[in-house]
Amino acid sequence: MTQRVLAICSSGGHWMQLMRLQRSFEGLDVAYACTRADYEKDVPGHRFYVVGEVNSKSLQRMPRTLYTVMRALLKERPDTIITTGALPGLTALVLGKVFFRSKTIWIDSIANSEQISVSGRHASRIADVFLTQWPHLSSPDGPDYWGAVI
Amino acid sequence: MIFVTVGTVMPFDRLIIALDEWAAAHPGTAVFAQIGSGTYLPKSMEWDRSLAPSLFREKVEAAEVVVAHAGIGSYLTSAGARTPLVMMPRRKALGEHTTDHQLATANWLRGREGIFVAEDETGIEQAISEAMDSVAGPDQFSDHAPEAFVNRLNAYIRGREA
Repeated sequence: MTQRVLAICSSGGHWMQLMRLQRSFEGLDVAYACTRADYEKDVPGHRFYVVGEVNSKSLQRMPRTLYTVMRALLKERPDTIITTGALPGLTALVLGKVFFRSKTIWIDSIANSEQISVSGRHASRIADVFLTQWPHLSSPDGPDYWGAVI
Repeated sequence: MIFVTVGTVMPFDRLIIALDEWAAAHPGTAVFAQIGSGTYLPKSMEWDRSLAPSLFREKVEAAEVVVAHAGIGSYLTSAGARTPLVMMPRRKALGEHTTDHQLATANWLRGREGIFVAEDETGIEQAISEAMDSVAGPDQFSDHAPEAFVNRLNAYIRGREA
């Protein structure tokens, strides 16, 4: 059976980095989720979910993010969840790992060239694959470095 | 036309105010700003809170110079259009972002062709002037991540790599 992938992230640079990974999903059944509804046009022919934006300055929005991410996960029941950040992506990895036993992939944004993001440090505890895009930030205990999306 | 963008998620009024002042001082140049959730409303330039992605790309392509926060999306879009880019990093201490990663991005990209970093609003005038005199924007790159990275991810997702 074709594997199901949920590719999820925040808007802006996170989404543009995720879009650069589309060829990684060839031959897989991929759905996308992002915090902006108008990004659906970027992925024609794919299922698309809008999830609630949240960041550490707006934690009061977390209940809506939890609800919208959980709803997407219940529809998709993904074998693998992949994210380029940030907090909504972390939310998806945690819920997916706990409730759906999904494989989880965190790719820290290339913006984090001096240290791993806060969400990334949390994701490191539950991600099956935990990647930085900067070789000098990788270490034997993680994160790994497989290259950069640019 | 100068296109100004601070993304859509968090306000960055310091940059919007600086560009509104720049626009007032340079009435011969049209300026359009995507101000996101900022509270300062520009007086001397056109603005919108958020542009659809296709319209955003059109603005970046049509612009003589893009002035942006030091976000990866702004960099990738400017490079895609080869439009010279002025970047001013958000600072955590001023409540402009959750961390200082935009300082790191500015440090990473500083000195590249077509990139002009303004450390703060006092550097905006000179950075825009240099960007307007520049011959090209940032180097373009392929639309996709490198093949080795893509293939390794695909293999992992398919369960062909431990």
